[in-house]
Amino acid sequence: MPVLVVDDYKTMIRIIRNLLKQLGFANVDEASDGTAALSMMREKDYGLIISDWNMEPMTGYELLREVRADDHLSRTPFIMVTAESKTENVIAAKKAGVNNYIVKPFNAATLKSKIDAVFGDAS
Amino acid sequence: MGQVGGTKAKRSRPGRAAKAECSCNETSIAAEITMLLNTLRELAAIRSTAEDAAARILDSAEGLLTLADKEEAKKAEEAILSIMTACGFDDLVGQRVTKITETLDRVIATRLTGEEPARTPTTMLVKPQSEITLEGPGLPGANQDQARIDALFREKN
Repeated sequence: MPVLVVDDYKTMIRIIRNLLKQLGFANVDEASDGTAALSMMREKDYGLIISDWNMEPMTGYELLREVRADDHLSRTPFIMVTAESKTENVIAAKKAGVNNYIVKPFNAATLKSKIDAVFGDAS
Repeated sequence: MGQVGGTKAKRSRPGRAAKAECSCNETSIAAEITMLLNTLRELAAIRSTAEDAAARILDSAEGLLTLADKEEAKKAEEAILSIMTACGFDDLVGQRVTKITETLDRVIATRLTGEEPARTPTTMLVKPQSEITLEGPGLPGANQDQARIDALFREKN
């Protein structure tokens, strides 16, 4: 299942890619912001999006809203992985349809449990 | 009896002192700006060093994971993954440096112009017609733990 990781920090993409590989997700693409991610999503079907929030020119939150507004993409599982931890922002992301929310710094077990929860909910 | 008409005022000490004080202020502002610019360079160096360190750590950790003897690698897997996720410090360092840099930019602009510039920080994105404000990583102890986030998610809308 192809996974798209979206973050403007190359180190973070590399970390998540390695963690996903250990979890059995070998087919991982990357994008450095929401605009690039959206373009890639319109070219290829992804089974999971893991996205940072704070990016330019399109934030992860804006990407989430675009994805949920797109008939073809709207059901794509979307996990936010971000340093943003304000309650209002978490609630905003939840209302916008994010499947799960991980606050940085995080560990491998947290990522695994959130991915498991997403696909557990979907099954 | 006071003089009528007065005498032409001499160039007084307060005027000269005020000019000296003004010159002194300009010198101290210039010195302050130089100091702030040097601070910005130091911050850029922090970010660069952190990025390099994280990349080197990840290189080593990835190398360990591909050990030929997979049994041995499996045993160390948890430790290696822990090392990898710890490299996320680079991301958080970068975000904090960005916040500091923006604050210093505003201070420099204020000192140069004498006016507080319009606040358009990039880490506090206030989108039109949106209530979302972003702050980046919170300070230690600022209640940003995963358990709290998970509890928010469990709440019904």
